[in-house]
Amino acid sequence: MKFFENRFTYDYSFPAVSLAYFLRYPNPYSRHVLTTDVIDRYVDPNTQRLHTIRIHLKKSKIPSGILKLLPKGMGGSDNSGQSYILEKTIVDPKEGWMETESRNMEWTGILSVVEKQLYQRLPSGEDRLALDGLAVDKVSEQTTVKTTVTFRSRLGQGKLLGRKKQDTAGDHADAEEEATRKGFFSSLSTAGIQRTIELIGVSRTREAVLKSKEGMNIVLERLRSGGVVGVLEGMRQDREAAFGPDGPWKRVWLQGNSKDRSIENDGK
Amino acid sequence: MAASIAPECNDIKEKYDTCFLKWYSEKYLRGNTSSNDCEELFKNYKGCLNKALKERGIDSMLDDARKSSSSETDAEFLKKS
Repeated sequence: MKFFENRFTYDYSFPAVSLAYFLRYPNPYSRHVLTTDVIDRYVDPNTQRLHTIRIHLKKSKIPSGILKLLPKGMGGSDNSGQSYILEKTIVDPKEGWMETESRNMEWTGILSVVEKQLYQRLPSGEDRLALDGLAVDKVSEQTTVKTTVTFRSRLGQGKLLGRKKQDTAGDHADAEEEATRKGFFSSLSTAGIQRTIELIGVSRTREAVLKSKEGMNIVLERLRSGGVVGVLEGMRQDREAAFGPDGPWKRVWLQGNSKDRSIENDGK
Repeated sequence: MAASIAPECNDIKEKYDTCFLKWYSEKYLRGNTSSNDCEELFKNYKGCLNKALKERGIDSMLDDARKSSSSETDAEFLKKS
């Protein structure tokens, strides 16, 4: 198992940051995100916290560095370049925090990536308030975010590939079984392969976390200058720039032509 | 607004998303947490989406993923190692 941790402070209030989180796609740094849907959403009647479950479809493929470590026939055949991400969030507006968790739904046996974030309202310092007198400057409000990403490869551990698309799951399991019989995993240390795969995940995540921060900042800036309407207008332009006026769905189901444009990305 | 995985649900999704953003920013974040302005729209959107997910075989994958909460996975992992 490997971990990646990052802390960051946004110069925006907690309500703005939490709104931006739900509104963050599309933005100029999220061209790899094809679709977003809300699977479930409710306010817990006891805690008044808002629970949301979303599913994102992203362009991503298994990094070539990982593909090289897999037995032939595994990973390569059905690498459609798209993957589903499940995202759960809980917002507590009274206490000023939001918890998020995103995980890949496929290839979890090769590499399971779970990203957790905790957004928290940063109490605007009382000293500063006193110094400023009647400080009503909302700009001074800040929100911190702690990001933790966990990487776990179970390759060669019998857990196999987790779940890929139903119709192909059998093939992949067979491929790994066969590879095991042929001594593929015994010729290389299983732990070594797992460690290598996890490290590739970590290195790709550094860049992905940075990009997602940039994306959030753009959405936040649009919120500040134009409110929700400003964000929506920006989105419309991003969407056209990324996919053309027809929207992304034409591409979603047209597989095989995404090779040149695939962004090798986070898988989160 | 982000597109839906099911093109046929895009219109209703956009209506729901717009409703949610308004409710979230104007009511929920300001303390009016018990209101449910968008319930009807969400029901319609969900109806459209669930059908699409089923047709594409994503629904069962989703059920599996939702079941595996992180604590379960950790426990399972610790047992194995």
